[in-house]
This record gives sequence, structure tokens and C-alpha cells, in this order.
Amino acid sequence: MKLTSLEQLQKIKEKGLQQTYPGKIKIMVGMATCGISAGADKVYKALEDKIAALKMDAVLEMTGCIGFCQQEPLVDVVYPKKVRVSYATMTPAKAEALVEALNAGEFFGENVLCRIDQEEFLVEGTKKTYANPHPPELPGDVPKYEELPFFKKQVKIALRNCGYIHPERIEEYIGRGGYTALHQVLTGMQPEEVIAQVKDSGLRGRGGAGFPTGVKWEFCRKAAGDLKYIICNADEGDPGAFMDRGILEGDPHAVIEGMAIGAYAIGASQGYVYCRAEYPLAIHRLQIAIKQAEDLGLLGDNIFGTPFSFKLKIRKGAGAFVCGEETSLIASIEGKVGEPRPRPPFPAQSGLWGRPTIINNVKTWSHIAPIMARGAEWYAGFGSETSKGTTVFALVGKVNNTGLVEIPLGITLREMIYEIGGGIAGGRAFKAVQTGGPSGGCIPEEFLDTPMDYESLGALGSIMGSGGMIVMDERDCMVDVAKYFIDFTKDESCGKCTPCREGTLRLMEMLEEVTAGRGQEGDIEKLEKLSRVIKKMSLCGLGQTAPNPVLSTIKYFRDEYEAHIWAKKCPAHVCKELITYRVVPDNCIGCQLCRLKCPVEAITGAKKVVHEILQEKCIKCGTCYEKCKFDAIVVE
Amino acid sequence: MDKDKCTGCGVCAEACPIRYEVQLPPEEEAKARSAYAQATDEAVVAEIIDLYRDEPGNLLPILLDINSHFRWLPRPALEHLSQELQTPLSEILRVASFYNAFSLVPRGQHIINVCLGTGCFVKGSPRILAELERKLGVKHGETTEDMLFTLEVVRCIGCCALAPAMRVGDDTFGRLTPGQVGKIIDSYTKTANL
Repeated sequence: MKLTSLEQLQKIKEKGLQQTYPGKIKIMVGMATCGISAGADKVYKALEDKIAALKMDAVLEMTGCIGFCQQEPLVDVVYPKKVRVSYATMTPAKAEALVEALNAGEFFGENVLCRIDQEEFLVEGTKKTYANPHPPELPGDVPKYEELPFFKKQVKIALRNCGYIHPERIEEYIGRGGYTALHQVLTGMQPEEVIAQVKDSGLRGRGGAGFPTGVKWEFCRKAAGDLKYIICNADEGDPGAFMDRGILEGDPHAVIEGMAIGAYAIGASQGYVYCRAEYPLAIHRLQIAIKQAEDLGLLGDNIFGTPFSFKLKIRKGAGAFVCGEETSLIASIEGKVGEPRPRPPFPAQSGLWGRPTIINNVKTWSHIAPIMARGAEWYAGFGSETSKGTTVFALVGKVNNTGLVEIPLGITLREMIYEIGGGIAGGRAFKAVQTGGPSGGCIPEEFLDTPMDYESLGALGSIMGSGGMIVMDERDCMVDVAKYFIDFTKDESCGKCTPCREGTLRLMEMLEEVTAGRGQEGDIEKLEKLSRVIKKMSLCGLGQTAPNPVLSTIKYFRDEYEAHIWAKKCPAHVCKELITYRVVPDNCIGCQLCRLKCPVEAITGAKKVVHEILQEKCIKCGTCYEKCKFDAIVVE
Repeated sequence: MDKDKCTGCGVCAEACPIRYEVQLPPEEEAKARSAYAQATDEAVVAEIIDLYRDEPGNLLPILLDINSHFRWLPRPALEHLSQELQTPLSEILRVASFYNAFSLVPRGQHIINVCLGTGCFVKGSPRILAELERKLGVKHGETTEDMLFTLEVVRCIGCCALAPAMRVGDDTFGRLTPGQVGKIIDSYTKTANL
């Protein structure tokens, strides 16, 4: 059936709401890649089998990632006419116990993460409150969703449906207000009005550079040519960032609707989603979503009976980081080697096959529908003076709470790491936070009160980037981290321009010398000088930002470089050439644990005999150090 | 060419812009290629090419499908593609060698991808890699002698919150410790021996 009116959309919506809220016990399992790798598929299977065995009248569904990846596998139970409860770190055994409790009409009280009293239908601006948030059987100490430090400061716009709907059912997306914005735009707004609204909202590209989205659209709208293209950049190459995957796996229609609105605004009839091949599940769910949208006439010819037509195709990446750069991405869609070209002309003037093209990131697209539905003013109400709205960060590394976090721009790094992230794992000391992937920098503790927006992070020598945020503690060597990133950009440099191709290689060689204890006087200055040359002379964003990790670590952690060069020591005990593991005879009780765990048999000793590490055999893997329960192994 | 009308004057041969290129009829062309390892392979590749034939910029999707079918890009398939798409083999090889996803050498039955993204890196994925290299007796980028495993590294599979992570074929494993790695590999070895 092809939808042509709002009434028909309403009918689907009712069906969707029926599916999302079936009026009986509903169990939901978070089945994004993160959940599955934590064992959600096994939990799902256990639930399925148990429900079948007990012949229980319950609905079992999968959903996307609600963002709290640390607590995966997550299982949510909607107690009919009562409340929704989230269960964390579930196992197949616990899942069976859960079903048994539910079947007996009881409340399952283990592994409880929080209770959700109400859900927000963001696009409509309404809330659905569960009938009885305080059923008597619910213990009083179950925290509310909005009270958990991890969720407290979050405002979910891009992630509005992730963890609430079945990502492979368009009805459930429509049920929560999906595609009404598209209908509103196509039937009641001129393209110029759409662009004006995006401009007024202050939305800036969430892919990294932060260019105002509306302004870019306007360029493209005004560019000559009747054939224009629209592209979604889902080539999320930054290591440590996975929000695009989260959105595509949890709510693919949010991206499709945003792209359709964008296509109408600039006058395009063909779109591409360029998604990296490393995300098979995201591609799979996107394929399903596009098919469903086509079946309902929400993609294709004459959408909602209007003259507007828009077709969408998926293009898979083939594992090249540089293809996240827009001109490389275009070359890759054209079937060529993904090498960038100089700009101007910008893609908005001459892009895919020489036609005006708009490229926006997954996150940017997912903001469009709510901006249309709720208005520019509403959206601009979030965020800071120059950076409006919300953005999604991937908070990972050495924090207690890892996951996807959507926050209004402008909250401080400290709030992010210590409140949302719950502080540093294992009670260790914070050292640095790395933002913006290989193009970003490492920010030390003294700048933790900096607000997170495009300008402030830029001033510190880092960038907002696509939103990866990796927290490092005292056990991370900053020289080693710089080396890691340069190794990455060295490998991923496409080789077209010399400063980037040769420069990153030379930086890598110098950093290898330093971390091997062969650094010399003047190395730091040489690193800085070469970094500046690469920044200035490179062709595209990859090279222009590649030295940022080196420059920012030298700027803030110069003492660590100096320790490597002068004292030939690695203060964080990471660089293998500069450390040795040794047994402290007074502490060693001869338990043999380290001896048995050593992968290369480099430890001698017998039961109740003090052990010894054979330095010539030791590969410095650190296993003994971690396994020892008596602090009998030291690293120096 | 209409043989009945031809007088053999040679004017067309002079004017032809591609007269110095060897023009073979399709069946001769197929014979000139390196042979496929299996007779059925040619049909598979032909089917993949047909799927994308009319699409602009189809080289990458075709190569990806061939790569996922064979787990690498065999030479006969690339020659076949070169003829079908009328694209020089050198251009195809340039694309095939540029992208990380493609392999120009045969890969094992199970492709292991150890994630070396930043999230995994700070949580110790280099040690996972070192353990795998020891266990399998190959360096990353290499394939075991029995063609069972190919060990590769990948720049982030998006499982950063469950770092360190790795992928074996289509299965993703998170929160790894070096100690678990051996067991995971053994489970694949066992299913292979059944």
C-alpha cells in the first residue's frame, strides 16, 4: 500500500502503537552489535525457549541499544498496566529465572538497573506514562531511569527511539511519530522554508567539522543543475566512535526520514547511504528499513501523493578511513580509488558525478525530522551559544560507565567523565581524554572544566570530531598513544599528497625511536616542526589533522616525552623496551599462579619457592603482573 | 559487418579508432583468461556482475561481492571483470589494492579480525593480538597453513564499550581477556574437524 494521506499514516501509527505496547507482558532484548557481542543473542534464545516451554502469553522482541553498553546484555520488561523495568548484565540462566518469575505473576528482583515510568514521544512532544509506576511488589529502592547518573543529563533527540522500538518494523517508528515531519514538509512547506528552519535551528554538521547544515543546503539549493544528490556519510571510521552504528542499528528510519526531507529541500531525487562494511548488522537493518519505506511509498515516486520523488540506495565501504572525507567518499561511490581532491569546488556545487551534492553524517540526518516537527526554536533551546542542540558521544575507555551518551552541547568534560561516566574505573587517576579520533587531541585534567562545543575543544588543540571520547588513566603512556594514532594515519593515508604520506611515516619512525629508548636531544622539536608542516601542507582533512595527537600530547605531556628521551623510562610502564618485570622476593609466597599463566615459560620456581623471571625469555606481556594477588611482581 | 555487401576496400579498417587492439569474440576472450579454480566459479562471478551491470560506479559493489564469496579476489575473476566492464585490469587492481577489505591472496575459512580501535587499544587489545599470534603461529595479515584461520586487524568494529573486542567470521566477541582467546579459537577448530 502506498500512503497518500495523513489519515493512512495515522492507521499505521495505531498499528505500530499496538505492536510497541501490546497490553501484555513484553520482554525486550537490546540486540545491537554491542549487545550481541556481550551475549544478548544467547539471552534471547534462552528467553524464547523458556517462554515456549511454559507456553506463556508474552511478547518477546528485540530492540536497539539504549546506550548503556557497559551493562549489556540489557533486558527490559514491560509489566502490563504497571511499569517498565530494565535488567542489566543478564545471562541465559538469569533470563530463565526472569521468565519463571513473570509466569508466576511475580516481580523479578535481580539484576535490576532501573525502572522507566514514562517514555517520551519526542517528535510529538508528548509523554506516555506507564499506568502504575509504583506497584506494591516493586521494591522502593529501584532507581528511576532519569535518576541514574548515566541518563540524568542526557537529552535524546538523535537516539530518541533507540532501545524503545523494534528497529526492523516501520510501524513502530511511525507509532512514535515517525514520518509525520516528512508529511508536514511535503504538503505544507516550500523547500526554502525547510532550509530556513534548519538554519534557524543552528544545527551544525555532526560529522566533525561543524559546518552549519542549513547554510550548506542553501548553497546546494542555489547551485545550477536539475540533477542533485544527497548522501549520508555512515563511514564511521574514527576508532572509538560507534554512534552511527547505534543509530542505524536502533532506528534506521530516523536517518531515512531526515534524508527525504533534505532531498526535498535541495531538490534531489536520488540518495546514497555510504556505510562501512565493518557494520554488517547496520547495513542489514538499513536494507530492511529502505524496503519497508518503499513498500509504504515513503521512498520512491510521488511520496504522499505529491510530485516529490526520492530513491535511496546503500553503498558499502571497503575499509578505507580516508573515505570519511567527503571528496574521497564521492570518489568511492563513483567506483574509484577513494582519494580526496582539492576543494573548491565544494560538493555542494560539484559533487557526485559532477552534480551538486549534499553530504551529511548519520547523526545530522537523524536530527532533521524532530527539528521540522518541533521547530527551530525548540531545537536551539538546547546547547550553548555557538553550538546548538545535542550530540551523541561514545564514552569509552577507562571510565566506569561506557556507552552512547547524547547530551546538549556545552556541558563540561568533567560532568561527562565523572557524572555520566561515573569516574575512572578501578579507582585509578585520570590522565587524559581523547576526543575526535585520529584527528583530535588529548586533553589533560586541568582543562576538564571546558565546555564541550566546537570552539572550546578546538581552542585546546583537539576537535569535537564525530564524537568519540576515550578516557585514559595513569596506566596509559601518552607517547605510546601518539604513536598509536600516527600508526593509524600512516596506514590510512591514501598516499596522494607527499606531506601526509611521507610525513606520517617519518613521525612514526621518530616516535618508535623515542618509545624504544633511543630518543635524542632535539627529537621533540623535530616532531613539532614536522607536525606543523604536515598540518599546513596536506591536501585533505586527514593530513591536516593527523599530527594533532602528537602536538597535543607534546603540549600537555611534554614531561612524558622527556622521561622517554632523557631518563629512558616510561612513566606509565607501557613501552616494552623501557620496562622490566621483577619478582619481589619478600612478597612472593610461591603460589605458582604467575608461572602457570606465563605464556612463554619465562618464570621459574616451585611450590612455596620464590619465583624468578628470566629476563631473556620475558616478552613483557604483563600477565604475571596482573595475575599476582600478593603484589609480588613489580614493573620498573 | 554485413559480409554480403563488403568489397574489402579497407577504408573502415583505416578509420577504425581501435584497430590496434586485439578484438576477440567473447568465447575466445574467455579462453584467453586465466582459468578459474572451479568450473562453477565463472557462473558465480557472471551473476554478480549482472546484478550491478547497469549501475553507475558498480566496480566497488562487484568487488565486495566477489571478495565475500571467495574470501579473496582470485585473478581469473578480476580478468573476467576487466573484460565485462571494459575497464583495464590495472585500474581494477589499483582499486582492489587500495581498500583494506580486499585480499589478493587466498584467506582462511575463518577470518579473525582483532579490533585495534582506540577503545580496544587502551583496554589491551595488543595483548589479545599477541596471544592470537602465539596461538595460531602466524603474524597478523597471515593465514594458518591448514587454511583454517586468517588473522587480521581492523580499525574499530564499533564495540568500543565492550572493549577489547574481536570478530571471527560473523561472530563478535567482547570484553576479551588473553586467557579466553585460546578457547574461542579451539571452538572453531573443533567444528571444522567434525
